[in-house]
Amino acid sequence: MVRSVCPSVSQCPRTRPGAWQSPANTPTAQGTGSPIPALRLPHCQRVKKMAERPEDLNLPNAVITRIIKEALPDGVNVSKEARSAISRAASVFVLYATSCANNFAMKSKRKTLSASDVLAAMEEMEFDRFITPLKDALEAYKREQKGKKEASEQKKKDKKPESEEHDKNKEDENEDDTEGVKMVDDDQKETENEEEEVEN
Amino acid sequence: MEEMESGATAAAEPGQSLQLEAEAERPGSAPLQHKLLRLPLSRIKGLMKADPDVSLASQEAVFAIGKATELFVEVIAKDAYTSALQGKRKTIQRKDVDNAVDATDEFAFLEGTLD
Repeated sequence: MVRSVCPSVSQCPRTRPGAWQSPANTPTAQGTGSPIPALRLPHCQRVKKMAERPEDLNLPNAVITRIIKEALPDGVNVSKEARSAISRAASVFVLYATSCANNFAMKSKRKTLSASDVLAAMEEMEFDRFITPLKDALEAYKREQKGKKEASEQKKKDKKPESEEHDKNKEDENEDDTEGVKMVDDDQKETENEEEEVEN
Repeated sequence: MEEMESGATAAAEPGQSLQLEAEAERPGSAPLQHKLLRLPLSRIKGLMKADPDVSLASQEAVFAIGKATELFVEVIAKDAYTSALQGKRKTIQRKDVDNAVDATDEFAFLEGTLD
């Protein structure tokens, strides 16, 4: 039965038949307890629909293969079909995690997905085991970004004083650099500190 | 977001190399294996924008999704390997991936999406 209100992911009746309970009876071990605003389709069906799109929803095969190999002992082989299935699973994971994280952003009335929304999504999706390594990686990433920013600012100082005002750094961002999720294909030319709305 | 340059770095400044190293810089030597993220941020972002409700995402959020995805690949690969071992095989096959999905509650969201 299709529900117009998407319950929280861990109670999704599609993935856990019979698990749906009214929020009052819900154990609050994880997740938020309060219902998420109605979406057009249940959460999982939207994700499945998105996963069916023919556009390039794939992640680079070479990278996926490398991640798989590094996770396994030497001498273990992975068939092409298995690799392909794992790659597809990874894409679906991105869609699902993004959707879940977005729910948290929307609940907080924010339009920009933040790293903490992603962490909340991991808990909601019952991937608690990811939370610590994710937090560690985020810390390292923030340090690295800070280092890059300082290096680029140093480069700007070293340029002649006539340096272009409209360098990479158009926006005045602080801790959280924002990138618009833009509808352009030229994603190699992404620069930091850009923020754009997407009309969909 | 920084450009994805093909590793040819003149100086090993933190700003130039995309080969992020968790520890200190090692100028001149080959980059360490522990890159912070192997998946390209641009592809992750491209996937995220497939969701019509998502308009903006911070760079950290994109990174976090990417990192979580890598962790996910590792987990599902290991679970599939377990299934292959049970079948006394050293080659992981598609059915091992299916078994891994069936065996784990958290992977229920994958049902019906892999075909």
